[in-house]
Amino acid sequence: MTRFVDLLSVAWAGLTARKSRTLLIMLGPIVGVAAMVGAVGLTESAKGDLKAKLAQLGTSLIVAQAGGAFGQQTPTLPDDAVVRAAAIPTVAGAAATSELSGIVAIPTVGSKDFFAAFPVPVQAADTALPQVLEVPMSEGRWLDQADLDDHARSAVLGAGLAKQYGYLRGEIRTIRLNQTDYGVVGVLGTVQLDPGLDNAVFITEWSAKNDFGSGGDPTTLYVRSRDGRTRATASALPTAVNLGGSNSVSTKIPSDALQASAQADKTLQQTALFAGLLALAVGGLGIANVMSISVIQRSTEIGIRRAVGHTRSQIAAQFLLEALFVGVLGGLIGAALGAGIVFTISAIAHWVVVLAYRQMPIWIGLAIGVSVVAGLSPSIKAARLEPLATLRLG
Amino acid sequence: MTGSGSGPLLELEGVSRVYGDEVQVHALREVSLEVHAGDFLSIIGPSGSGKSTMLGLLGCLDLPSSGTIRIDGQDVASLDDAGRSALRGNSIGFVFQQFHLIPHLSAVGNVEAALLYRGLRPSARRERALDALDRVGLAGRASHRPVQMSGGEQQRVAIARAIVTAPLMILADEPTGALDSANTSQVLDIFRDLRSDERAVVMVTHDLNVAATTDRTISMRDGRIVADDARGPDR
Repeated sequence: MTRFVDLLSVAWAGLTARKSRTLLIMLGPIVGVAAMVGAVGLTESAKGDLKAKLAQLGTSLIVAQAGGAFGQQTPTLPDDAVVRAAAIPTVAGAAATSELSGIVAIPTVGSKDFFAAFPVPVQAADTALPQVLEVPMSEGRWLDQADLDDHARSAVLGAGLAKQYGYLRGEIRTIRLNQTDYGVVGVLGTVQLDPGLDNAVFITEWSAKNDFGSGGDPTTLYVRSRDGRTRATASALPTAVNLGGSNSVSTKIPSDALQASAQADKTLQQTALFAGLLALAVGGLGIANVMSISVIQRSTEIGIRRAVGHTRSQIAAQFLLEALFVGVLGGLIGAALGAGIVFTISAIAHWVVVLAYRQMPIWIGLAIGVSVVAGLSPSIKAARLEPLATLRLG
Repeated sequence: MTGSGSGPLLELEGVSRVYGDEVQVHALREVSLEVHAGDFLSIIGPSGSGKSTMLGLLGCLDLPSSGTIRIDGQDVASLDDAGRSALRGNSIGFVFQQFHLIPHLSAVGNVEAALLYRGLRPSARRERALDALDRVGLAGRASHRPVQMSGGEQQRVAIARAIVTAPLMILADEPTGALDSANTSQVLDIFRDLRSDERAVVMVTHDLNVAATTDRTISMRDGRIVADDARGPDR
């Protein structure tokens, strides 16, 4: 162990004795690793805000809709679609909505024409909808079992509609749907994966049947799959939901579009990665060259060390370790430099920084590998030097 | 480190050294020599007489073309590189004409270089190196680099490096060749002080005045020993 420590200190002293030369041969690993870290970091960070949004929203939401048979007015899913969907093992949760058409909503606080009347989409929604969408309430509460049981005329506004209506925090507000007044109990947060819901009014299934004569069959099914099983769930869903039915069921994964636009420019990334590799390779040649010259310059030192008893393998190890240090330090400095570039440019361009932390050890390892391989030949050359030839006796 | 009993520290038996394949140069021809513990000897001769070749062979830096060299009873030719390196490190201390200090190391760092890879803790190594520097009167210059020291001081650091391992034999190659007269006498004084019953000191020189300070002088010419004059220790 102390012998290894001796070796480390000898190699370190050899490097620090010639700082500018050491810095010079470190340039290869530094530039190579910095290029790779910077290239991947910048191309990823350019899409960083989309990535962050995607990470927040998740990719496990599936939306299923009835395709409809020809001539049918509003295609619907089977009555028990939610139960059927929930029976799929990879499904974590499901909720349905049923869209009611031709309803005019007038926002009121007592006065009839508080705001211009216009048709809004009205959705009869399950009590589990916010959980499945993973969207929190921005105001008040969602429709609950008590609303169903008590046959309460409760309504929840979509975030966009609430804004349009000038809904104020904590305000007691009613909304008139056709001729019936509903009490607004809450405002749903923004649904980024299905913006259509932001302009809707949500009421209970009972209200829909009772006040508007809806059949109650769902038109849209929202399904949250377990992590990593989104595609499998989406492909299983149509059959599970519609087995025995006449309508076709189409599914879509709303995060797909977002995911596609969040893809970094792979061509650019690969070009830059290749440039980084090239810099490493050229750097390796530089290390081999400079170290070979260095061995000649330090031949007297090698002769002295041999004369005081250092073996050939200890001399080889000394020089090989110097090359290793060059790789380790160059790789670390390069990674830091690359990360610094990514942080700086991202700060200027207002990007969300995305760094390839997992790949960094691989790139640094690559720099170390290249340095050690480059140091191999000079080290062997150093070990083979004849002390008698380098010491100029007599 | 002490010699193995009564036998010679160093024994050359019919040693020849030939350089080159097509054009052969006989640097050393059939040389036999014994060096015992306690010897303080000089090897003299003009340029090309084989002194340097002799020194390389004595110091285990080179192998003979024929003949046998035994150091402390061990046949040098039978050892591999690691064995010869260990023998050099443990039994021989070199002092060179050009001092040959490692320029990027301090005085104490240069002395410590001889103690590396021996399983010594850094603190113990430093302590021994400082002791050796103290013996040559340079304790106060331990942290100086070679370029910050005079020739005489550099040579004394080199001597400290040679003695720090307590070798059986100190081999000096023209140790005063690059020094002025004041430094020469100082260095020769140190060599005289290094004389001991356990150790041999061998100096290669072409300076007869330097040779005259030793107890035994071996004269060489054309690769052969032409005279071996022992003056006795109380000359």
